[in-house]
Amino acid sequence: MLRRIAVFFVAVMLALPICAFVEEFAEAAIAPGYENVLRFATNDEPNTNDPQKTTEYYAVNFQVFDRLVEAVTTGQGQSDLVPGLAESWEISPDGLTYTFHLRKGVKFHNGAEFKAKDVKYTFERMLLPETEAKNQDFIDPIKGAAEMMDGSAKELSGLEIVDDYTIKVTLKEPFGPFLASLATPGVAILNKESTEEAGTDFGLVPEKTIGTGAYIFDKWVLHDEFKVRRNDNYWRGAPELDGISWKVVMDADTMRMMFEAGEIDVFDTDLVPSQISYFTKSEKYADKLVVGNRMGTYYFTFNHDIKPFGDVRVRKAFQMAVDRKGMLDALFDGRGELVHGILPPGLYGYNKALPEIPYDPAKAKALLAEAGYPDGFEMTLTQIADNPSTLARGELFQAMMAEIGVKVTIDQMDEAAWYAVRADGKLPAYSGVWSADFNDPDNFLYTFFAPGNTVRRSFNFKNDALSNRVAAARAIVDPASRVKEYQDLERAIIQDEAAWIPLFTTQHIFVVGDRVEGFKVSWNGWSDGWHYYEGLRIKK
Amino acid sequence: MARYILRRFLISIPVLVGVALILFLLLNVVPGDPVTLMMGEHIKPALIEAFRARMHLDDPVLVRFGRYMLGALRGDFGVSYKLQREVSGLIWQAFPHTVKLTIYSAFVSWIIGIPAGIFSAVKHNTLIDRSLMGFSLMGVSLPIFWAGLLMQYVFASRLGWLPVTGYYSIKYYIMPSVVLGWSSAGTVARLTRSNLLEIMKNDFIRTARAKGLSEPSVVACHALKNAMLPVITVMALQVAGLLGGAVMTESVFGIPGIGRIAVDAITHRDMPLLQGTILFTTAIVIAGNLAADIMYAFLDPRIRVEQANS
Amino acid sequence: MNGAEFDLDQELAQRDDATAAGRLKGMLRNNKVAAFSVLVIALIIAASFAAPLYSPYDPNKPSLSERFAPPSRTHWLGCDDLGRDQLVRLIYGARISIVIGLLPTSLSMLLGAALGMISGYVGGKTDFWIMRLADVVLAFPSLLLAMVVSYTLGGGIVSIFIALSAVSWAGTARVIRAQTMSLKEKEFVLAARSIGVRGGVIIFRHILPNCVPSLIVLFTLNIPGAIMNESSLSFLGVGASPPSTSWGLMIYRYKTYLLSYPWLAIAPGMAILIFVLAFNFLGDGVRDALDPYMKD
Repeated sequence: MLRRIAVFFVAVMLALPICAFVEEFAEAAIAPGYENVLRFATNDEPNTNDPQKTTEYYAVNFQVFDRLVEAVTTGQGQSDLVPGLAESWEISPDGLTYTFHLRKGVKFHNGAEFKAKDVKYTFERMLLPETEAKNQDFIDPIKGAAEMMDGSAKELSGLEIVDDYTIKVTLKEPFGPFLASLATPGVAILNKESTEEAGTDFGLVPEKTIGTGAYIFDKWVLHDEFKVRRNDNYWRGAPELDGISWKVVMDADTMRMMFEAGEIDVFDTDLVPSQISYFTKSEKYADKLVVGNRMGTYYFTFNHDIKPFGDVRVRKAFQMAVDRKGMLDALFDGRGELVHGILPPGLYGYNKALPEIPYDPAKAKALLAEAGYPDGFEMTLTQIADNPSTLARGELFQAMMAEIGVKVTIDQMDEAAWYAVRADGKLPAYSGVWSADFNDPDNFLYTFFAPGNTVRRSFNFKNDALSNRVAAARAIVDPASRVKEYQDLERAIIQDEAAWIPLFTTQHIFVVGDRVEGFKVSWNGWSDGWHYYEGLRIKK
Repeated sequence: MARYILRRFLISIPVLVGVALILFLLLNVVPGDPVTLMMGEHIKPALIEAFRARMHLDDPVLVRFGRYMLGALRGDFGVSYKLQREVSGLIWQAFPHTVKLTIYSAFVSWIIGIPAGIFSAVKHNTLIDRSLMGFSLMGVSLPIFWAGLLMQYVFASRLGWLPVTGYYSIKYYIMPSVVLGWSSAGTVARLTRSNLLEIMKNDFIRTARAKGLSEPSVVACHALKNAMLPVITVMALQVAGLLGGAVMTESVFGIPGIGRIAVDAITHRDMPLLQGTILFTTAIVIAGNLAADIMYAFLDPRIRVEQANS
Repeated sequence: MNGAEFDLDQELAQRDDATAAGRLKGMLRNNKVAAFSVLVIALIIAASFAAPLYSPYDPNKPSLSERFAPPSRTHWLGCDDLGRDQLVRLIYGARISIVIGLLPTSLSMLLGAALGMISGYVGGKTDFWIMRLADVVLAFPSLLLAMVVSYTLGGGIVSIFIALSAVSWAGTARVIRAQTMSLKEKEFVLAARSIGVRGGVIIFRHILPNCVPSLIVLFTLNIPGAIMNESSLSFLGVGASPPSTSWGLMIYRYKTYLLSYPWLAIAPGMAILIFVLAFNFLGDGVRDALDPYMKD
């Protein structure tokens, strides 16, 4: 009733000047040329579509480029590494040498044939300082990478072109997830000649951004839309769609309205978790939901350099003072699973046997008292401004901490300041989510708890022995002992040292429009989609 | 007259430089490091230094300001940190959308504001006066983003009459320009009303009435002509208000204009882009003021005489 | 010092002042809209500052069992996504709008009046530079400037104070300067100068009292702009910080529920609308009443 009154009120208030125009403007919902185009929306403009220069925007990348190895989705939260531009490979028994046999007859969008020199060019471009590439982490285990990055070498000594269709890569030391990291979007293979020629236009100007992928980068109108069109000569066979477009819509609530008005085909509830219950409870959308697991863990951090977080009792108290179930219910409509360590369920090496961290405010209060804070203390939680859902999470945290006498102030910082302070290791506390780039525990533990990274992420985790073990685990070759080491580390870091408050992992829910058939969620639950949307159709 | 225009023009140059300087100082004392944001987190320190050197970020502020102004004179406002393109090109691309929105909105504000002002002056101190002024003032008091969201909700999401966002044809501009135009209709109405009221007190109106002219023709033929003079100048002055409002309107309605770019630039601390857009916007506002002054001088004989004498 | 002369101006000034007060009183009697606006504003202010005395709920304490409770007898405007009473939050949120409306506006009035009087009275180079600075500030679209300032200083109430004060002094300075310049030529000022009264004294004793009516008008007219700017800044996420809330912040937080729980986002917007509209009506009334002093 109230809603109806509200609608009526607003309508009357605003309708008069408009009514007259309306009828003239009726037109088809699908713009001409988009009949067989999948229409997405994104809330942020990519800074570039150069795969080497972004760590966030992979939507175009997945469609326009291929990698040597591809991670394909085989089921919910499961992935397999399959041959991409490399048809096959051999790994030496010591885990140091990888020989890749490249696929023959693959053409770039400009007609040039894909050859070994393109791989060499791609890797070297990524490592040369003047490229200012950001995804170097994925290939820096290669021998000679360090020399290229510090400018003392111009060529990658660990990469040898055997012939046009064979390359041999030698690592500095064994690195278990090397193949998996070659499948990350950042290591997409570029064409030597056209990329050199494009210079700084590469990734910015569609016709100069050449790959081997299923789609060709077609247009990019800033703050409006970018689009790819079908590559009829794709080596796996041309895709069924004419193309894929992404509208740039800053405000996710506006995006929701566009979805309901039929202006876009897929709505990603990750952008506004507050909408989940609206869609899950609505009958209209009951059979339009596509649910996948986000291979990610939500967490709260605290800076161990800042008093009293150096005290493990305080950190443990915090772990017990957060009602994680209540938070998951309130913020994500209960759609997810609690996490008691670092790795989310489904990830390679996930430990099901990890004991549960209980919600126990009374015990938390006792622990605080034991640590010398019977009356609590004051602390600051930071977040990036302009994110209502993080704010809601913060407000809940604030209220839960108040229960154990801790007074939390929320400081909304702008993005630049927040990242800068965090990189200095000075951020007091924050909450976030990390989702897998590649399906390996290293992607989680190394990112947060390796010696340098623990400062860069403002943990300042003080247990050097554990941090060093995180770094050393990269070189373990035997899969079983690797997994065991990671699980031991996870237990020690989170359950003994209480280095962060693990929260939960969430389902990633997409709402799919009437036109779309065969939409699925990629193995890691990313919003950027999966490889060339194989099997997806648009109903005519 | 020419001398007057020239003088007014010359005065606006130091103002513009002042704007640039203040902006530059404001943006350069900030705690956040744009480079970290731009380069992402896995970046090696050496790369950050190379970038800082390339962008001359370690020079003293005044040197950088000087370099910036020299570039700006040649139309070079630097390269956007985030979008990695020429700022001038980005502005040039966005500006037409903002111009369109501003013109449509100004139009809406006149359609609402001028009749409201006239009627409420003629029916001074009556219920009509109060409710018409109330309606125009309501626009001023309505938070643009809120009204915009409600309109999207009702007309696009519920009723499906209009598209939610976009800028492709005039129908996309209906909601944004109604919201924005209404928000400045109050100013137009206020000014029309007070001018008309003042003029109606004048002798020549009394004479016209004494001659037995009907009230509507008195208003239409005599009063209005004179009262519109200052209103015309307000149209030019409106530019500032509308451009300010465009920031929120464009963000809500997804119009890729200057305001939208500015908000984006602020959230990403894209200094060159922010600086360029604000400087550009300010230049437009100053130009608007200049145009208002000149127009006023042309239209009002008294000023012309004053100028001639001085 | 000639005592007689001096008393005469004092009296003149006081009489003007009395007339201004008298006119305002008359306005409240005759202009019902303005009178009603005063009532609304007074009610909102009183309600929000007395809130702790009567509010049955804590505005910031979540109650997860009552999430999205629709309006009912116990929660007149329902509950938000964390189960907090919406009406209580609105009433508490009013405080920030009030403080933001009044404090930066007062600050900018002080600054603007001082600079305007100095500029108008001293003239010459001082005048030139102050006015050019005012031109510069006036050339910025105020919301953009406020955004830049509060981003530079980081979010939060204090930086909004500074941002809004920095934005709106210039208009005041211009009006007051023009008035000062015309007052400077008035006989009582000329007389005071001729007998050697110092500039500072003249400004305080003779010019300031005569500017008061204009200042009152400017004050009431500037408040709505400040409130709107605060809500825009909060909407962009650089305004008030939780748990304390403001109306702008509430719209920002609840806009996402427009479709499912519309009252959450509609109520704070209505609150802004009513409050600002009341100030606008009052401002118009005050201006009409004191118009003879606003000959700028």
